[in-house]
Amino acid sequence: MLFSLDFEWLADPLYQDWLLEGLGTTLAITGVGTILMLIIGVVGAAIIHFNIPVAKPLTIIMIDLFRNTPPLVQLLFLYFMLSDLGMSYTDATTGERIPLLSGFACVVISLALYNGSIAIEVIRSGINSVPRQTVEGGISLGYSRAQIFRWIELPIALRLTIPNMTSNVVSLIKTSAQAALVAVTDVMFYATQITLETFLNLEVMIVLWLIYLVITTLVVLLAKQLAKALTIPGFGAGAMK
Amino acid sequence: MSKETTSATFGFFGVVAALLAVLLTLYGQGTGEALRVLFDRSSLLLTGSSNFSGFGGGFSANVIISVLSMAIALVCGFFLGGAMVSPNAMVRSVAVVFMNLLRSSPWLVVLYAMLYLLPFNVSIFGHHIFVSPFLKAVIGLSFPVTAYIAEAFRNGIHAVPDGQWESARALGYRRGQILRLIILPQAFPLMLPNLMTTYAMLFIGTSLVVVTGTSDVLSIGKTVIASDGDDYAAAVYLYILLLFFLFAYPLATWTRALERSLSKGK
Repeated sequence: MLFSLDFEWLADPLYQDWLLEGLGTTLAITGVGTILMLIIGVVGAAIIHFNIPVAKPLTIIMIDLFRNTPPLVQLLFLYFMLSDLGMSYTDATTGERIPLLSGFACVVISLALYNGSIAIEVIRSGINSVPRQTVEGGISLGYSRAQIFRWIELPIALRLTIPNMTSNVVSLIKTSAQAALVAVTDVMFYATQITLETFLNLEVMIVLWLIYLVITTLVVLLAKQLAKALTIPGFGAGAMK
Repeated sequence: MSKETTSATFGFFGVVAALLAVLLTLYGQGTGEALRVLFDRSSLLLTGSSNFSGFGGGFSANVIISVLSMAIALVCGFFLGGAMVSPNAMVRSVAVVFMNLLRSSPWLVVLYAMLYLLPFNVSIFGHHIFVSPFLKAVIGLSFPVTAYIAEAFRNGIHAVPDGQWESARALGYRRGQILRLIILPQAFPLMLPNLMTTYAMLFIGTSLVVVTGTSDVLSIGKTVIASDGDDYAAAVYLYILLLFFLFAYPLATWTRALERSLSKGK
């Protein structure tokens, strides 16, 4: 069976274009999603760390909600809620109602919220593992609490949590495949299109799987390089191996 | 109440209140109507049949799929994890590569692949077995989960101190005996939180089986939306979010409690 695989469709320029275009969308989703995820993670961790009155319980509720429900349902809910809220504008030339937030934006937002909730927990655990003495050193040098967070705790926490954050980014990349279910033209979407035209389901899925495998492997390698470049000498080396 | 119980209760009621608040803001005056629709369709969404007469569709299908997948993945995962700690370097590296391949594949892609890869009919010793979408979903989901379980298994074994192996060897135990009688009983409690997290992940992942055409809660939700109108789409998805949350949150809380008691015991 292994030898009867037919990969001739890969030579078709149309399918090549489709895959490349889908790949571009997937990379855009994961890139923007990762940046937003990191921002949410840092802001959320800061809110919980500084015990900000109203924002802290809200952040905790957000984490509990997003971590314990399927990202797919979150995405579908967001997709329908935003269209329900009437967040759309009318195109002046054609009179057509265009949603303000496209499917692409919904996917990015839902991925950022879901993986951002995980990122908050990851960064928090990093902050908790910053040695007490380092923080005390900052206090004795006259740093304020905000300064300690910005210049001591956060940089160390972010470095310490690179391995966990990497698996979070990998999870984001894998979860991004569900964008196809709200008709965002990512690589998964085009792959299913190709299977509909060629009926070569297994072959297309193998190629798709390899594409995801290459993306995630590259991200993991990149993170390893980053961890190496950012090593603090004599500090937390064990956690970064 | 201890601090942990308080925060868990706060999270639970907080999320339920937040979901209700979103429903209220979305529907305003029409909230009552939306709630009535949800109430009428509850039986369909929960069991896949009207009037709670049947079982095995809707949300119950998600639960059944997750349990069956977990059972398959536990068996396969223990073997794969066993191969990953094998004394034979060849077996070990093949198992590690296989585990990494399984772990880094998106669940949706695996599910799609299974959908077309598995035949519709299998004949074993003359018996024809129909491979339903349900079965395909179970098998498809168990693949990535196998990898997670194998890794939890390996980590659990690595967490047992080497001295245990050495003393057992000194007492004349064989490798298999050491694993079964000495290492596994100690490793299992260490693995338990990881296994439960994996199960929670799998349960949440069952939402993806909607692509296989099983009558899970999402596909029934789509049917409900199609019959009751797009206006209630957000309400139906909120309800499904709540269902998943009600199932997954106690699990997560329990896992955290287990982890705490483990770290206290050290």
